[in-house]
Amino acid sequence: MITTHRLPEEAFAALASGGGDAEVIRHLRAAQLSKQMMLLHVLAESASGDRTDPAAVAFTMARRLLATVQAADPSAFAWALGLPHLGAWVHDCLAHLERGMPPDLGYLAAAAVAAAVRAGVQFELDVPVRDGRVLLPGLGSFRVTDRQPWVRMRGDGESVTVGAHAQVPYAALRPDDGSGAQVRHWQGTLAVRAVAEGQTWDVLLETADQYLDRFTLAMPAAMTPDEAASWRQHVQSAWQVLVRQHGWAAGPIAAGVSVIVPLIPRGDGDLDSATTPAAFGAIATSPPPSPVIMAETLVHEFQHLKLCGLMDMLPLIEHCDDQVYAPWRQDPRPVGGLLQGVYAYLGVVRFWNVQRHVETEPEKIFSAQVTYGRWRRAIEPATGILLGADCLTGIGVRFVELLRDQGRSLESEPVPADASAIAAEVALDHKLTWQLRHSAIDAGVTADLAAAYRRGEPLGDQKLPRVRIEEETRKVDSTTRSRMLSMRYLDPGRYRALCRNGLPGFSRADALLVTGQTTPAAQAYRDEIAGTTEPRPEAWTGLALAMHRLAPTPLRQAFATRLPIMFDVHACLCRQGILGDPLDLAAWFA
Amino acid sequence: MTLQQELCSVIPDLRDLPVDRLGELGDSVLAQSIALYRQRLKDNGAPLNSFGSGI
Repeated sequence: MITTHRLPEEAFAALASGGGDAEVIRHLRAAQLSKQMMLLHVLAESASGDRTDPAAVAFTMARRLLATVQAADPSAFAWALGLPHLGAWVHDCLAHLERGMPPDLGYLAAAAVAAAVRAGVQFELDVPVRDGRVLLPGLGSFRVTDRQPWVRMRGDGESVTVGAHAQVPYAALRPDDGSGAQVRHWQGTLAVRAVAEGQTWDVLLETADQYLDRFTLAMPAAMTPDEAASWRQHVQSAWQVLVRQHGWAAGPIAAGVSVIVPLIPRGDGDLDSATTPAAFGAIATSPPPSPVIMAETLVHEFQHLKLCGLMDMLPLIEHCDDQVYAPWRQDPRPVGGLLQGVYAYLGVVRFWNVQRHVETEPEKIFSAQVTYGRWRRAIEPATGILLGADCLTGIGVRFVELLRDQGRSLESEPVPADASAIAAEVALDHKLTWQLRHSAIDAGVTADLAAAYRRGEPLGDQKLPRVRIEEETRKVDSTTRSRMLSMRYLDPGRYRALCRNGLPGFSRADALLVTGQTTPAAQAYRDEIAGTTEPRPEAWTGLALAMHRLAPTPLRQAFATRLPIMFDVHACLCRQGILGDPLDLAAWFA
Repeated sequence: MTLQQELCSVIPDLRDLPVDRLGELGDSVLAQSIALYRQRLKDNGAPLNSFGSGI
């Protein structure tokens, strides 16, 4: 009689609060090991019996070898099955099976050889050759010259032979952490041993495994020695930040993250990072601009990994087609995506809550304060959306309530008023832009409202429309202004330089807004909207932001809460040739 | 000493079983877990959690 993995309540509560120490991570990893064994079993059932397919035969042999390794050295077995490479591979195999396509069964042979090498176990089996290499996941790759798709590998416990090409000692088949000599025919996977204040983190920099090449950006096919040194420095520097300032995150990250997948950066200097539930233990990221941002990225992405691991154990959410707003994304998100996001940002808030007290330069302190202020205010409404969406399971509701409580406790921490004001404005800009892009409103209701407004009837008697979330309802191109507003705290030196240069390419209203001339900005946006029958969604959000800076009034509230319907009613009037004053319309909606 | 409460997960604990002999378990919690996992995969796939700093 087998039982299921158990998770202590305390571990669950710690995870829901955004934490969880190394021991909690070991619970998640233990469950991942069983999950991988379970999924291998599914593949085995699909592969059994086919003695004509070399991949199926290699799979069967590999599974036997893994069983031998499991008996001889359980830790080597757990290491191999815990590799995110293997998780991604088995996931893709299952996805292929679901679609009626043949899975890549041969990959398991290479993983089994890696496990056998690690355990010092003897073996003999065929492994696949791809692009002139035999990849041993988690260790590295052999270069082979044969053009054959398979090569026989043998290990006698002392040395490994690859066909007729190479004979290499087991001990030499290890990742390349930069400290060892070159081994003929062998290229170890780049690795880093990061050390800070006696704490060590061993992590691979994977650029060769096809199953980990699955993120938003491509991984580099190879790295120069300088690039490898640079990435090692990124990891080492971030590890120092984590160990010295964010001990709550450092130990768990070392226990749970075994692979970093470097990504080729976009040309615009933005940082991209990602994780996938298919590859527990792997974080993908483009090069970070600083050690602190690398540390933040690790915290952020590790939150995702923890939640992926937990959701494998405990289903927190049911299948649900709802699309909702997420304060960190431009697109509508599924409820599951919002849950992932809010959990990641709970970690980000905890990170900046510490970092804002650690920074010593005034601009970095201010940036940390705004970042903290911006994201902590996102937790409460996001958890409210989750709890109201009717997609959470019972345990999912408990998880989100604990998460919300942790967010509330962070809300009570003071933030300087100037930092809080920018945080609120940037958050509002994001939300209003998203609403204009994605809120679809019934045209008939809009026309009725426009007619009522023209007749001078009060809004109180009118039916307000239901809003549908759609991919793109209106085109809104205010990215440059939004970036400029964020630049005030993310890159204040550049912000000042652009302001000194007169903000080329900005409209007069935008230039006034981003330079803090609020009342003239509001008037300029008002004139821009009222002076044309063309839709001006960017001007509407600009006017809303300007109004938000002024003293609280019902008018300001209308801009913050009813912008899409106000915009649509105004557009409806414009189509009838009526140039309406946006403030007058807002007063009607207030 | 208080007894620590535990939550039962949907993942069968297979760690002490030989990886090549799971078929001998027959119709069990393993089969249920596999069915649940495959349904999840069918419903959701494995969506990327992706972040871009340019939001």
